[in-house]
Amino acid sequence: MIDFVQNTVDGIMFGSSYALLAIGFTIIFGVMRRLNLAYGATIMLGAYAGTWLHVHYQVNALVVAMTILACTVLAGIYVERLCFRAVRRDAVLASMVSSFVIWMQLEEVAIHLLPERTYPFPSLFVAGSFELGPFLFRAEQITMLALAVVMVAALNLLLHRTRYGLALRAVCESPQAAGYMGIDTRWVMLCAFALVSLVGGVAGYAILATDEQVTPFFGLWATFKGLIAMMLGGMGSLPGAILGGLVLGVVEAHAQWYLGNEYKDLSAYVLLFAILVLRPGGLMGRRILGREELAFRRV
Amino acid sequence: MDGYVITVLSNIGMISFIALSAYLLLITGEISFGQQAYFGLGAYAAGAATAMFAQPIWVGILIGACVAGFVAVLVGALTLRLSGLYFSISTLAFAEMVRLVLLIVEVQVEVDGEMVGPDGANGFHDIRWMFERDISLTEFMFIIYALLAVVLIALLLMERSRLGSVFRMLGSDDLLAEMQGLNTVRYRILAAGMAGAIAGIGGALYAHFTTYVEPQFFNAMLGVHALAYGLIGGLGTAFGPLIGVAIDLGFLEAVRFIQGYRMIVFGGLVAVLLILMPRGILDEERVHRLKVLFSRRNDAGARGR
Repeated sequence: MIDFVQNTVDGIMFGSSYALLAIGFTIIFGVMRRLNLAYGATIMLGAYAGTWLHVHYQVNALVVAMTILACTVLAGIYVERLCFRAVRRDAVLASMVSSFVIWMQLEEVAIHLLPERTYPFPSLFVAGSFELGPFLFRAEQITMLALAVVMVAALNLLLHRTRYGLALRAVCESPQAAGYMGIDTRWVMLCAFALVSLVGGVAGYAILATDEQVTPFFGLWATFKGLIAMMLGGMGSLPGAILGGLVLGVVEAHAQWYLGNEYKDLSAYVLLFAILVLRPGGLMGRRILGREELAFRRV
Repeated sequence: MDGYVITVLSNIGMISFIALSAYLLLITGEISFGQQAYFGLGAYAAGAATAMFAQPIWVGILIGACVAGFVAVLVGALTLRLSGLYFSISTLAFAEMVRLVLLIVEVQVEVDGEMVGPDGANGFHDIRWMFERDISLTEFMFIIYALLAVVLIALLLMERSRLGSVFRMLGSDDLLAEMQGLNTVRYRILAAGMAGAIAGIGGALYAHFTTYVEPQFFNAMLGVHALAYGLIGGLGTAFGPLIGVAIDLGFLEAVRFIQGYRMIVFGGLVAVLLILMPRGILDEERVHRLKVLFSRRNDAGARGR
């Protein structure tokens, strides 16, 4: 029982970082109706730039964090310009494949920056662990959870209490109608990319500071975890992304504990496949448009 | 030809199978991130047939294609309800499941005093058909291209037939296709099965060419590359995916001075290409124009005579 609770707690802690990654995917999907596969790679490039400074100039953790945020946002804007703005609006597939090749490109740039396999990453200013009754907590993980809560609260405020948030939600609903209302949809989209890159940068920093190292697999890892968490919750839904991230974290933690390390990733994919087959809209997403509704929309 | 050139050409040939498989689904309007699963299943099934049960390679390739096609039909039936990105992600999830299960599976039998068979994360060693029959790499390359030609001709014929029109119709508007009285469910499953079998043939060849396969090779990168090849080459004709593969593996492999920066160059090139031609180099429009051009020439020639 104690194990079960401890695993669940660990899962929620880790799941909070998945949730942040999923939020990035879900906002871009909501705004663009297209998948940005390069998202994980932009975070990775930012992380590598920060680590490069840390390795070569021994700058402190705060500078590293700032560098990561700045570089991630720049990379995000680059992706938006090249793969989304420039590509014809109806070419959904082209955008996705384009963002995939840019993922590969950014990853190679990052690896040229730091050619060895793994590098140390400055840990958070708070580190260590403490016990509460029979349970063990790591300070980094608590920080990650707190960071995720703060980010989600801030995003919620931004989306529901500001004019920009209103514009962004309008564009999610219908870009065309938003345009008629005098909203500069292209500007909203660019800002959305900058926004999710910022969220991704924070998530990336928190994750890497917990791991205390960066590896070339980070881009792939971040992309897949974010994607899975988003799909679990339901595409385009913010609460869904958070729930999906937490569920993913908890399931992985239990699978790892009870079945072994090699079943950790497997459990995530089995869960995802089962959810897609049984409940295609995700846990909290809108239902996929039914045939009739789709036909109605065409008329 | 030296060994290096033959290896590159053989790789182009084998990867073309998975690119064609992704292409077939693309023209029916489905984006699959998971064709590498069928490539991998084909490789394991064919390897098992020849190395563990001493079957000839033709049987191995046939078994590889059948196993991959059968699993693809099952997955196709399960994911029928899904469309668009949901379908894409479900294929990705399935493919990763296959890869991670192959990392765990250990089934070995004793052949000539040695243990042969899938060995979890260590992969599947000693698929030694080529050595046992004393077949050179060049000869095997011809086998690859002969099979590729067969598949390609079959696909080209299919596109000229009613089936091809049905697939394209599904791709552009499945509601309309259904209103024409077509059984879209059956055609979607058929397309999934055909695509799986094509990828399976490629995998079967790959297992025998390298004599060794490991689950790590069939990761998501392979599948997304296959998809990208299809789109780069163009969705107008089955030659499209081959052009995509040739550009990446052939051209970029050949240009040595961009070695190490290959993905940076390739990524940039493709991104620009997709801005200019969102449906690839040989898209439907260009293919149509080419056809008109050639048929006009023939007409003019006939009249001249």
